[in-house]
Amino acid sequence: MSSSSSRSAATRAGDQAWTKMSKMNAELFNLTYGAMVMQLIRDYEDVQAVNQQLETMGYSIGQKLVDEFLAKSGVGNCANFREVAETLAKVGFKMFLGVVVEVTAWNAEGTAFSLQVYDNPLADFVELPPQYSGLVYSNILCGVIRGALEMIKYQVECRFVKDGLKGDEVNEIRVELRQMVDESFGEEYNEGA
Amino acid sequence: MFLHLFVISRSGGLIYNKNLSSSAPRLTVNEWLVLGSTFHGLHSIAAQVAPLASSGIEKLECDNLKLQCFQSRTGVKFVLTAEPGTPDLDNVLHGIYELYADYVLKNPFYEMDMPIRCDLFQQGVERLIERNSRELKKARSDA
Amino acid sequence: MTESKRNAGSGGGGIRMLNILDRPLATKGRGVGGSEVSLSAFSFLFSEMVQYYQNRVLSIADLERKLEEAGYGVGHRVLELLAFREKQYRREIKLIGVLQFVSSTVWKALFNKVADSLERSTENEDEYMIHEREPITNVFVSAPADISQLNCAAYIAGIISGVLNGASYPAGVTAHHVAIGDGQREKTVFLIKFRQDVLRREAALSG
Repeated sequence: MSSSSSRSAATRAGDQAWTKMSKMNAELFNLTYGAMVMQLIRDYEDVQAVNQQLETMGYSIGQKLVDEFLAKSGVGNCANFREVAETLAKVGFKMFLGVVVEVTAWNAEGTAFSLQVYDNPLADFVELPPQYSGLVYSNILCGVIRGALEMIKYQVECRFVKDGLKGDEVNEIRVELRQMVDESFGEEYNEGA
Repeated sequence: MFLHLFVISRSGGLIYNKNLSSSAPRLTVNEWLVLGSTFHGLHSIAAQVAPLASSGIEKLECDNLKLQCFQSRTGVKFVLTAEPGTPDLDNVLHGIYELYADYVLKNPFYEMDMPIRCDLFQQGVERLIERNSRELKKARSDA
Repeated sequence: MTESKRNAGSGGGGIRMLNILDRPLATKGRGVGGSEVSLSAFSFLFSEMVQYYQNRVLSIADLERKLEEAGYGVGHRVLELLAFREKQYRREIKLIGVLQFVSSTVWKALFNKVADSLERSTENEDEYMIHEREPITNVFVSAPADISQLNCAAYIAGIISGVLNGASYPAGVTAHHVAIGDGQREKTVFLIKFRQDVLRREAALSG
């Protein structure tokens, strides 16, 4: 599985990919996301529906963003789900959000892991008022991960299990593999040949 | 010299086609659609009949045509044709994939799997092809 | 507007907790107190936002209003942040002062550059224009031909309006495409139209 050397290779790939990306001010990004969440709260009036809508928007983003990742990250095919997790954390998060994320808490089967997000650019400046305690403010990230992985045939479920906005020390997203999507367009993901 | 570029969606529909040279044969809309779906079909048959695990057709070379196909891991096929002997279609195809990731997928008015009508993508492709054609010409006259 | 105090007293690294207003001031290095994300991340988010509104409006004008409204609240926050942090905003008492604050300080904070130019309208004395060759909302956007007049920088127009309003210079701000020939991309002009009482106040102050 992923040795410490391949881990640092992923970190290096992440740094390289990040260097090549055009950058912008994180606050404008953050405030823009906040404006969108507030709009959804006004439109839906129900926190659960907002959570769902954020996930759906993220899913749509993930389906598209994965192509930019593949086109620009320089990362080759991942051999297995563990490599997918490392690549997602060390290259994906770094390349788009400029932050480093840790992979932890694998289950015994190697089909579920946690992403620890220490520094969440979506949630700076944010304080959740009590009436929105059910809001999963950064739920869009779960959708992005689900959409992106599905396009490369990993069907996953994602949810926040720890949330910095609710007093947890870290943001933690649980990612569980449901199944491999089998499509007819050719490429083999298992080590055939 | 580059001749044609076309893009086939993951569901097999032709979503973009462009003549890259005045000497490239002109195809009607119908001919393009047939070409797109035929290539899509051949591509998946090729993958299935290959004796080893295969990702389908990557290159075709004939006396008067060279064709190269880049399929993204998300299943979109970018197909470029050129005169025989034209080098380096790989780089051009990758450049087109980057343009697609930028100017198609980040455009709020583009719907996935639908025909690409994005001015900025079109301009990007034109610039990329122009730049590469110039370099080809220069390399040829230097040689 | 002095920027020399930037980062003075900042503790620097290591803070992991998500505190509210103080954190970005104290811990983040580059730019005006901000770290960076990829332009792509913003563009994907913004694209989703435009699609969301597009499904809920009947006309391009309505879509632009929605984007302006979304930007307006952001503009208020931006002014608060700039005022709070490093004293970059002192209450401007001249119209031209507040306009320069927008086209330089605000622009730098948000876009890491100053605006391409700031001009006064030759026709109407209550109108000013800020020119921007490529607003970050538009970098990857190709609007279909039937709605080509749509300018997604309406969102930035809303931000400008929010800043001006927060600074007691209420103005309507709209974003427009302007052709620049040579087959180049159109640039964007933000048209700022101040409310009448702003001009009366200005006249009284200078009179």
